[in-house]
Amino acid sequence: MLEINNLKATIGTTEILRGLSLSVKAGEVHAIMGPNGSGKSTLAQVIAGHADYEVTDGTVTYKGSNLLELEPEERAREGIFLSFQYPVEIAGVNNAYLLKASMNAKRKHQGLEEIDAFEFLKLAKEKMALLGMDPKFLNRGVNEGFSGGEKKRNEILQMAMLEPSLAILDETDSGLDIDALRAVAEGVNSLRTPERAIILVTHYQRLLDYIEPDFVHVLSEGRIVRSGDKSLALQLEEKGYDWVREAATG
Amino acid sequence: MSTDPDNIDSIVNRRYEHGFVTDIATDTMPPGLDENVVRAISARKKEPEFLLEWRLRAYRQWREMQEPDWAHVHYPPIDFEAISYYAAPKSDDERPKSLEEVDPKLLETYDKLGIPLHERARLAGVAVDAVFDSVSVATTFKERLSEAGVIFCPFSEAVTNHPELVQKYLGSVVPQRDNFYAALNSAVFSEGSFVYIPKGVRCPMELSTYFRINAANTGQFERTLIIADEGSHVSYLEGCTAPMRDENQLHAAVVELVALKDAEIKYSTVQNWYPGDENGVGGIYNFVTKRGDCRGANSKISWTQVETGSAITWKYPSCLLRGDNSVGEFYSVAVANNYQQADTGTKMIHIGRNTSSTIVSKGISAGNAQNAYRGLVRVMPQADGARNHTQCDSLLIGKNCGAHTFPYMEIKNPGARVEHEATTSKISADQLFYCRQRGISEEDAVNMIVNGFCKEVFKELPMEFAVEAQALLNVSLEGAVG
Amino acid sequence: MKSRHFSMDALGDAIARLPDDRLTAIRNAAFAHLREHGLPTKRDEDWKYTDLAPLVDIGNQWLDLGDDVTPQADSSDVSDPIQKSIDADWLLISNGQVDANSIAALAQDGVTVELLSKHDSTANFSAPLTDLNSALLRDGLRITVDANHSIKRPIGILVVDIAATAASLSQIRADVIVGANSTLDLIEYHASSGEGEHYANSVINLTLEDNARANWVRIQDRDRAHNQTGRTAVTLGRDSQFHHCAFDFGGRLIRNDLAVDIAEPGSAAVFDGLYLAGEDQHIDNHTRVDHRVGPATSQQEYRGVLTANARCVWNGKAIVHEGADGTDAEQANHNLLLSDKAEIDAKPELEIYTDDVKCSHGTTVGQLDETSLFYLRTRGIDIVGAKQILTTAFAQTIVSKLPVESPRESLAELVSARLSRMLEAVVK
Repeated sequence: MLEINNLKATIGTTEILRGLSLSVKAGEVHAIMGPNGSGKSTLAQVIAGHADYEVTDGTVTYKGSNLLELEPEERAREGIFLSFQYPVEIAGVNNAYLLKASMNAKRKHQGLEEIDAFEFLKLAKEKMALLGMDPKFLNRGVNEGFSGGEKKRNEILQMAMLEPSLAILDETDSGLDIDALRAVAEGVNSLRTPERAIILVTHYQRLLDYIEPDFVHVLSEGRIVRSGDKSLALQLEEKGYDWVREAATG
Repeated sequence: MSTDPDNIDSIVNRRYEHGFVTDIATDTMPPGLDENVVRAISARKKEPEFLLEWRLRAYRQWREMQEPDWAHVHYPPIDFEAISYYAAPKSDDERPKSLEEVDPKLLETYDKLGIPLHERARLAGVAVDAVFDSVSVATTFKERLSEAGVIFCPFSEAVTNHPELVQKYLGSVVPQRDNFYAALNSAVFSEGSFVYIPKGVRCPMELSTYFRINAANTGQFERTLIIADEGSHVSYLEGCTAPMRDENQLHAAVVELVALKDAEIKYSTVQNWYPGDENGVGGIYNFVTKRGDCRGANSKISWTQVETGSAITWKYPSCLLRGDNSVGEFYSVAVANNYQQADTGTKMIHIGRNTSSTIVSKGISAGNAQNAYRGLVRVMPQADGARNHTQCDSLLIGKNCGAHTFPYMEIKNPGARVEHEATTSKISADQLFYCRQRGISEEDAVNMIVNGFCKEVFKELPMEFAVEAQALLNVSLEGAVG
Repeated sequence: MKSRHFSMDALGDAIARLPDDRLTAIRNAAFAHLREHGLPTKRDEDWKYTDLAPLVDIGNQWLDLGDDVTPQADSSDVSDPIQKSIDADWLLISNGQVDANSIAALAQDGVTVELLSKHDSTANFSAPLTDLNSALLRDGLRITVDANHSIKRPIGILVVDIAATAASLSQIRADVIVGANSTLDLIEYHASSGEGEHYANSVINLTLEDNARANWVRIQDRDRAHNQTGRTAVTLGRDSQFHHCAFDFGGRLIRNDLAVDIAEPGSAAVFDGLYLAGEDQHIDNHTRVDHRVGPATSQQEYRGVLTANARCVWNGKAIVHEGADGTDAEQANHNLLLSDKAEIDAKPELEIYTDDVKCSHGTTVGQLDETSLFYLRTRGIDIVGAKQILTTAFAQTIVSKLPVESPRESLAELVSARLSRMLEAVVK
C-alpha cells in the first residue's frame, strides 16, 4: 500500500529524514518508535503533505502512484488519515460540520452521493458511544476547549467516520490517562481490517500493550536503524534508546 | 508548520459579479452645487415650501462645515463641485403602474443582480421598493400593506401624501447639521424610502429595498425614514449592489428610525457595493449616517449589517436609548479585502432608565485592507441601571492587512454595568493544514472558519438574508487566502 | 477667561534666567519647538478628556510673578516620613531642584548617579509636555546601572514640591539606563504640600539594554489641590523585561503618559496601575505600547475606584506594527464607580498591522457586588466596613502585583487610608 524508498526531507536548512525506507502492506500495523527529534513526526507530516517540509530525495508510492505529487486534501480523499500529535482548535466551526464536510469531500471524490444528515448523525452517535464520548461534542467548536484526552478521542472519532485506507497515528498516546488510552486503543483496534494499514508513531511502548503491532521500527537520526516484531519494543523499553543509538553508530 | 505562503495569496480572485452598467439615458443635472441646484431638485420633485426651506437651511450649514478627517481611512480629496446631484431615469414622466410597464432593461438589470423582482418578491413575501438611481420605479404588495395601514413608499410620495408625518419626523433623529455628510444629504437628497407603522400593528411582511447606483459621476443621497408608532413592529431589509466602474462614487445616505413606546424596529443590511478592483482602483465611498431613536419606553431598535462592499466605508448605525427600558442592538460583520478601508461601529447613548445595549462586531481583514471598529458607549448621569455588553472580534487573513479597535466608553452613572471585550485572531496555517488533511479544500476551509467566526451575527439576519450574506462573504474573501 | 497658551515672551524670559550650562542648547531648541507647536488642546484625540487650560493658567500666573524659577523651600516635613517608611537609596528632587547631597550619599556598586547637566543632551520633540519640561529644566538626574550588575537596594526618586508662593511650576527629569544583563529596582514617589497652586511636570526616560530588567513603582500622592503631568518613555532592548506599577492617590488634575517602545525581539513588558479618585480629582492614565518587532509580550491591567465627582480617564493603546510577528498584547481596565457624579472614560485601543498576533482587551465599569455586600452585612459588618473590604480587595489585586518589595507595606496603608476617606464621603 505504501512504499517509501530512501526518503530525505528538510525543514528550512535542516535535514530531518536522511534516507528512510519503509514498506507497509494492507492489513498490517507498523509501530515507529524513536527518541525525540529522530524524525518520527516529520515522517507523519511528510506523508500527509505538510508544506513546511521539503522532500529532497527518494520516492513515496501509495496505492501504486506517486504520493508526493498530491495536495494534502487529495491525499486525504485517497484515504490517508493523520491523527495529529497536537490537534488544532478551530473556534466557531462545529465538530459535526467539519466531520460532515470532510466525509462529503471524500464521498464526492469517490463519486458517491453526500451523506444523508440523519444517517450521518446515527453513525456519529454510534461511533461516539464506542469511544465513550458525549454526543454533545458534536456541537462544540472543533477541539475548542477540549482536554488533551478529548482531543485525541476526537481524532479517533474522525478516523472511525472517515474509514481511511492508511491511518497514521502521531503520538496518539501522549497525554492520555490509562482509561482514555484504553478507549482510544479499542477504537483503533476496532478499525483493524485486512484492507486497512495503520502506522503508530510513538515514543513509549505503553500504547503497544493495547494495540499489538505486526512490525516495530526504530528511527534514529532520520533513518530506520532497526526493525523487528513486537519484542523489539519490549527490548527498547528495557534498554532505552541509547542502546539503539549505539547500535546505529556502532 | 505552515502552508505555503505564496499559495495563501493565490486562490482565484473572482471578479465582482454585479459589474455592469445599464445603458439607459438619464436625466442628469450638470455637476456642481449651489442654492439653485437645491431649488431645482426641490422643484423637480414638486416639493412643498417647508421642505425647500429645510433643504436650504441644510445647504447653508453644510457650506460652513468641514469634511471630517478623524476616521482611520485615507482617500484623495473629494471635489464636491464635480458631482452631479440629481439623476433620474427618463421614464420618470410616466411612472410604471405595474411590472409590465417597467423598462425591460431595468428588469434585465435586476435579473443580472439575481433579483428577479416579480417572482422573488412574491415568493419571499417581500414588498420591494426598488431604487434605480434616485427615483423609485416599482412598488409591489402595496395593497396588502395598506390593508394593515402600513405606509411604505418612495420618500417623494410620502412628501406629497403624508407631509405632516414627514414634517414632524424628518431630521428629528439626524439633524441637518449633525455632520458634514448628513448636512449634504439633507440639502440634496433625491429619493429613499418612507415607512410608517401605525399603533399596535405588526407589519405583515419584511420590508425590503434594493438600492443601486448607476449613473456615472452621480453621488447617491438616499433618505430613509422609518417610524414605528406605539406598540408596532417592523423588520426592514436593505441590500445593495452596484455596477463596476473606475471612478469613485460618493454615497452619503441618511437613515432615521423612530421607535415610539413599546415599538420595535429591526433594520438589516447586506451591503455589497463595488469595492474597487484588486489594486484598489475605483469603488464606492460610502459615508452613511444611520441612527435610531428609541423615543418611547420599552422600545427596541436592532441594527444588523453585513458589509462586504465599498472602497471606503464610514458608518456607525447608532441608538439613542431615550425611553425607559429601551433596548439597542448592533450586530455587524465587516469584511475588508484588497485595498478596502472600513471604519465602522456604533454609538449607544443611554439616556433613559434601565436601558440596555448589545454590540457584537466581527471585523475581517484580508489583503491590504484596513478595518477599524469605532464605537461609543455613553451612559448619561440620569441613565440609572444602564447595561452594555460589547464583543468586538477581529480576524486577520494575511500579513499586509490591519485590524483596529477604537472603543470609547463614557460612563457618568454609578449604576451602569459596562463590559467590553475584544480579541484578535488569524486564520492559521495550522488550521488550514488540519482541514486539508481531512480532505477539505483550502478555500472551503477558509469559508468554514469565516462563517464560524461570524455566526453570532448571521443568526440575527432574516433567513433569506443569512444565506445570501454567507454566500457574499465567501465571494468577498476569495483570493484572500489560498 | 483663562488662556490656553503660555505667554511665550514671559516663558522666554524665564528660560533666559536659568544658568547657562550644557542644557542650554536643548532648552532653547525645546522652547523654539514649543513656540511653534504649542500645547495640545481637547481637540487633540489624546487630550479629548483632559483640559490642560488650568495648568497653563498656573504657569502664566507663575510667569507673572517673575520669580527666578520656583523658590526653594524646606521639604523635610514631607520627605522624611516617606524616606523612613520605604527602604531605598533616595535621591531627592525638590521644587525642580536636584539635591546634590542625596547624589553624593548614594554609594552602590555599579550604579552611577549624576546631574543631567554633566553631559550634553539632545532634545526630544516626541511630546509637547516634554518640550515644556526641557525648556524650563533647571537640572535632572542621570542614573546608569553598569552591565552585568544587579542592584542590591532599590533606588528611590523622591519628588517633593512645596508650594509656598501663589503659583509655582516645577520640572522633573530623570534619564535612566540599565546596562545589559542588569537589574534595577526603582521607586518613584511624588508628594507635595503648601497653600499655593502648583503644577509639576515630569519626564522619565528609561532605556533597558539587552537582557536587562527594570522593576519600577511609581507612587503619586500629591496634595489634593496640586497638579501633575508626567511622561515615562521606555525603550526595551532584546530579551529585556520591564515591569511598571503605578499608583495615583492624590492631586487635582493628574495626567500620566507611559510609552513603551519594543524595537528588539524577546522583550516582555508588564504595566499595572491603580487610581483612587475622590472629590474634585481628575486622573488620566494614557498608555501606549509600540510593538515594532516580535516575538514580544505586553500586558497591562489598570484598576480604578471613583467616588464623589471624580473623573478618570484610561486610554490604553497597543500598536502592532507591520512585521511584529509573534506579538502577544493584553489590556485590561476595571473600574468601580461609587457615586452619582463620578465619570470614567475608558478607551482600549488596538491598532494591528500584521496577522501573527494575539491581542485582547477587556474593560468593565460597574459597582460593588450587592450579594457580597449583603453577605458581609449579615455577618455584622456595617455598610462602610463592607464597602471598604470589597473595594480594598478590588484594589489589592494591583498591590499584589508589586515588582518591588519595599514599598508594599506603605502602599497597603496608603490604599486603605485613601479608600476609607473616600468611602466615608460616599456614605454621607
